[in-house]
Amino acid sequence: MHELSIAMGIVNRALETAEEHGAETVTALTVELGSATHVNPAQLKFCIETAAKETPVAEAVVTIEEVTPLAECVCGWEGTPGTLDQAMVYAPDVTCPECGDRTTLIRGRECRLATVELPDEQSHQKSAQETPAPTQNKPPEEKRLLQDNKS
Amino acid sequence: MIHHVQKTIPNPMNSTRKTLKRIEDAVGPIRLHRFGHDHGHAHDESVSDVEADVLAEVRKRAGEIHERLAHEHGVYCVEFAGSTGGGKTMLIERLLERASEDEVIGAVVGDVAGEDDAKRFRAHGIPVENVNTEKECHLDPTMVSEAIESFDLEELDTLYLENVGNMVCPADFPLGANRRVLVVSTTEGDDVIRKHPMLVQTADIVAINKIDVAEAVGTDVDRICDDIEAVAPGTPIVETDAKNDVGIDELAAALEPDGTHAHHGEAPHSH
Ligand SMILES: [Zn+2]
Repeated sequence: MHELSIAMGIVNRALETAEEHGAETVTALTVELGSATHVNPAQLKFCIETAAKETPVAEAVVTIEEVTPLAECVCGWEGTPGTLDQAMVYAPDVTCPECGDRTTLIRGRECRLATVELPDEQSHQKSAQETPAPTQNKPPEEKRLLQDNKS
Repeated sequence: MIHHVQKTIPNPMNSTRKTLKRIEDAVGPIRLHRFGHDHGHAHDESVSDVEADVLAEVRKRAGEIHERLAHEHGVYCVEFAGSTGGGKTMLIERLLERASEDEVIGAVVGDVAGEDDAKRFRAHGIPVENVNTEKECHLDPTMVSEAIESFDLEELDTLYLENVGNMVCPADFPLGANRRVLVVSTTEGDDVIRKHPMLVQTADIVAINKIDVAEAVGTDVDRICDDIEAVAPGTPIVETDAKNDVGIDELAAALEPDGTHAHHGEAPHSH
């Protein structure tokens, strides 16, 4: 169970992105999660929502999109690896269907923040004027933003 | 209007575009920040993609550990992963007993709490860094990179990393070792590989330990070997009985540095 530490990484990245663009809140975010990881999608969504509490990401709609693995082989083959029948849980078949060599996964091991949606430009400009320069004193700023949201 | 705040690279999945359309329909104009995507090859993950991908970031940090240990200081690093009670500690102790007089060895031990295993290694007269992971059920590269700084890396020849007893999480968390040894014991049953295939795929060597009691506990070792070959073809297998000092020479031989680097599931690095 390491979804929480991963979720915190995702939320921090979303916060940085909002800050880079002077946005007060994040309205939605999408995470691409590879199937060849041990990160559980439902738990990850829950953990992101938990980690986002009392931050500008708190109200964001969180979508987890599962990514099917993609493998490549030194022989030039590239494609979706099969699923290992004998395994009791999901695992990609890492044997190349063309040459029998061992393949490398080029997709399917990611847990990446794919998109961050911010409020529209107009309200953003308004809020940008109210917001002092970011980065320093991050916690108080977040708290203030949260209160702004409530009022 | 959709305002792309950063140059986007077409995503092979395309689904984010659909999501965007859906949300645009629902809430009106929004700005979308889409992170760069470079098709995600483990050996050339772009900087922005790594920043947005928390698991790639973990692999990158593992790569930094490898760079620091192997390339800057010539330290040969071997990680042991596997279940609690499978024999990781005793296998490392057997290797310590075999080490030549002039080999300078250190160990980093991950444990949820306490330092029982660290004490066992200290009894062999080597420097040991104990890492209590508490809520985390595995070592991560950040913990390891802090731990290695307490060693005299210039003096060190070999560093053993003993991961927390766990057959799942370490698969997502490479530590930058030259070799990851996965220890499975016959007492875990002959379906142990089928239950944990993705961890097996990150191993460079699998040690099947407690080979002496296989028959008594009704475990078919051949079945375990067949499963390893099916799940992670070509992975060297060593059968050991750490308690009775059996198979340790074979394990030591399999661990001999041969100039190659960490492979499966390990971190990217360039030469
Ligand atoms: Zn091939």
